[in-house]
Amino acid sequence: QSSAIKLATVVPDGSVWDKSLKQMGADWKTGTNGRVSTTVFSGGSQGDEATVLRKMRLNALQAASLTVVGLSSIDWSFNVFNIPFFFQNYDELNDVLQTLTPTLKQRVEQKGFVLLHWGHGGWLQVFSKQPVTTVADLKKAKLYTSAGDDTMTQWYKANGFQPRAMAMTDVLTGLTTGMIDALPTTPLASMSFQWYKQTPYMLDLGISPVVGATVISKRTWDAISPADRAKMTDVALQVEKQLQADVPKGDGLATLMMQNQGLKVTKGTGPEWQQLADNLGQTMRGKMVPPDIYDMAVKERDAFRQRKAAAGQPATAPAKPAAAPKAPAPRK
Amino acid sequence: MTRLFARIEDGIAALALAVMTVIPLLEIVLRRSVGIGIPGAGPIVQHLVLWVGFLGAAIAAREGRLLSLATGSLVPEGWARRVTTVIAAAIGCAVSTVLALAAVEFVQSERGVGSSFAAGIPTWVAELVLPIGFALIGLRLAWRAGERWPARALAATGLVAGWFLGTHPALLEGRSALPGLALIVLGGALGAPIFAILGGAAAVLFMADGITPAAILIETYSLSVSPTLAAIPLFTLTGFLLAEGKASERLLRVFRALFGWIPGGTAVVCAVLCSFFTAFTGGSGITILALGGILFPALVKDGYRERFSLGLLTASGSLGLLLPPSLPLMLYGVVAQMPIEDLFIGGILPGILLTTMIAAWGMREGLLSGAGRQSFAAGEAGAALWDAKWELLMPIVVVGALFSGLATSVEAAALTAAYALFTQAAIHRDLSIRRDLLRVFAECVGLIGGVLVILGVAVGLTSWLVGAQVPMHLVEFTRAHIESRTMFLLALNVFLILVGCLMEIFPAIVVVVPLIVPLGQAYDVHPVHLGIIFIANLELGYLTPLVGLNILLASYRFKRPVLDVARAALPMAAILGIGVLVITYVPWLTLGILHMLGRS
Ligand code: NA
Ligand code: NA
Repeated sequence: QSSAIKLATVVPDGSVWDKSLKQMGADWKTGTNGRVSTTVFSGGSQGDEATVLRKMRLNALQAASLTVVGLSSIDWSFNVFNIPFFFQNYDELNDVLQTLTPTLKQRVEQKGFVLLHWGHGGWLQVFSKQPVTTVADLKKAKLYTSAGDDTMTQWYKANGFQPRAMAMTDVLTGLTTGMIDALPTTPLASMSFQWYKQTPYMLDLGISPVVGATVISKRTWDAISPADRAKMTDVALQVEKQLQADVPKGDGLATLMMQNQGLKVTKGTGPEWQQLADNLGQTMRGKMVPPDIYDMAVKERDAFRQRKAAAGQPATAPAKPAAAPKAPAPRK
Repeated sequence: MTRLFARIEDGIAALALAVMTVIPLLEIVLRRSVGIGIPGAGPIVQHLVLWVGFLGAAIAAREGRLLSLATGSLVPEGWARRVTTVIAAAIGCAVSTVLALAAVEFVQSERGVGSSFAAGIPTWVAELVLPIGFALIGLRLAWRAGERWPARALAATGLVAGWFLGTHPALLEGRSALPGLALIVLGGALGAPIFAILGGAAAVLFMADGITPAAILIETYSLSVSPTLAAIPLFTLTGFLLAEGKASERLLRVFRALFGWIPGGTAVVCAVLCSFFTAFTGGSGITILALGGILFPALVKDGYRERFSLGLLTASGSLGLLLPPSLPLMLYGVVAQMPIEDLFIGGILPGILLTTMIAAWGMREGLLSGAGRQSFAAGEAGAALWDAKWELLMPIVVVGALFSGLATSVEAAALTAAYALFTQAAIHRDLSIRRDLLRVFAECVGLIGGVLVILGVAVGLTSWLVGAQVPMHLVEFTRAHIESRTMFLLALNVFLILVGCLMEIFPAIVVVVPLIVPLGQAYDVHPVHLGIIFIANLELGYLTPLVGLNILLASYRFKRPVLDVARAALPMAAILGIGVLVITYVPWLTLGILHMLGRS
């Protein structure tokens, strides 16, 4: 019994994610003696994540590596990773992720998908034309939000921000014309798309991680033999581990490279940030994140912070990791 | 009863288009005053595009205005024409039915998910217009297959065949797609609508791969609701409103007063005026229909040869496609996922170049034939300028709204449409809100729908090509055979002219752009330059004998045989061809201004 898997993703062609997914496909093939062959479609060539999910439901595609945008449209519990300022660093994120994984896996399975592994996409930072250091600065900024994600736009509005929903292709124009003057994005993306040239300031506070995951349709997964499935899971988890190490390094390196080009990194000042973080989380509980998931995440995160504090480590290590020696090639 | 249904249908479609115009305007105002816009404004406007498009397609089918290839009209009138019409209609019916069933499957799948696109409205409810639209199109194709019942019944066998195929998709699975494709191409050549050729091909290819044709509808939906696409129907509306008012006459007067004294002045006027008009109506063919009626007699009266005049007007109908806010440039931006404004800026000099070349050819004709010219009168020029001031201000409204940060491209388009309505109806009073508005809106929706239904299925075909990894293989093949960039550009020109000969510009953008964008990257062609090369080449395609839209429309408008029009347009095609080569090999024309603005 052989399976042909078409795997779609919006990550850029040739990026670290794209390469690791293609490697995963190749390893699946060798690991299953050619019974599972995979074609990876990167760069959004199969459409945005909503489109990819529609195709998976009708079996026109079998697998996808999604960001939290697509994942949360499968099940709203994934919005827990979208809560602004909820996690302070990768250690907290990874700890909470591990705790939530069984529950989240079960929830996506009920929707007809199997979650194979997590993929880190980096950390959203605020890039802006004017320096943002206080909460008031951020609320004053005309903030880019994705035109496809109305819930998030409305949520920003309701909380006193000034979101401007637009297509991603309009970002550069929006920045040059002043329609927007701040956007949340990862350092790697900001460098790849050259947005940072229009936004010389980066608030190094880490809004939220860009969590991703590879999912396969349950129908395809169940048609594969248990032995082959085990092999595939092993390979997928290796990829997860590798991305866990590579992506933070890439973001750190991108930040350094942009700083060399004149990017100024600012720190959040004032006590309101922590308060804002708590308030914002509460507004999402039950509205955008299922209450039980929210509570589970808060409980584990706080327990983790206490364990860290008890062990004598600072609870608020920056989200930015140390720079790595290996440089990802910037895309033009 | 039928008339009542038609009026209700027109009413709903017109209302959808009107709401689509009003929401972005409110959004501009509210955002600047209260700081908070309308909840879900963006997604609602995007989903209205879907409704306008598919209700419009159904209206176009009702009026027999779905676009088809010109080859069908080459069959001699009489029994032969009646037979081919029925065959073409039957194939159109079959494809519509397959797509309608696929749309039902798509909507059901979406309903199972239970998502909402905005303001608590379920997504599947918005998508219902897809099966409804295709079902209406199928029924109407059967109805219009002939005047009498036997012809209609024969065409309706297509509905049955489509139903059978749609409910037994396994029939085609694993088999060769070639017989099905051949049948569809035959139907197209005999005059089946273009959407049936592209949609039918996509359905056959998907089904042969064992994939449901509902995959096509996923793409149709996704394209229709993409954030910037809404600008296209709104600018089409602008063109319609201008065409309905006396804007063309006022503009003709201005350009005549300004350029009429030049040798070949009237010809120059035609080129400039058509460019201006096409930029706003964007290759939808309105230029020839709206301006042909005034310009053709004007040229002939001034002593230009009929054949020259015919050729000039046919070619002029595609000038201006590179000038903002041209719809093909917008669609290119949507498909290639790049900033539309960059394409607009990049197209300015190439657009002016092509217009100038055609105008120069007109001057030559004027000198040779001694065609009449008028002397320059400052008073008349001033009066004409003053009379047309609102129309002349329009480009400034668009460009100002776009580049000042006041509006997104969709909002700028809505603003322009509102401006056109206000100036034509309230200031000039050429349009009566009560008498004309519903009719103009319904006609406009029909035109939008005729185009959108083609695009909607064309993306399905593209998606099959992507799934078969055609773009990747194309890059590999080209890199193995072509080394230099110069050679690549030459090959690209030849390829795109061929595409232009075989396909209409809008579906060509949707199908071919995803194939050439990776090639452009591989040969380091600037994305904006690639876009301008693409549209410039396809502009030529408007003038190719068999499927050129301008040839068809000119043949219809001036009541001349298709081949006569094609022959008359040949010299213009040659001139435009030279212009296209210049645009291709002098990237500065495209990128110069962008460099100066620091945008590339
Ligand atoms: Na898409
Ligand atoms: Na053509």
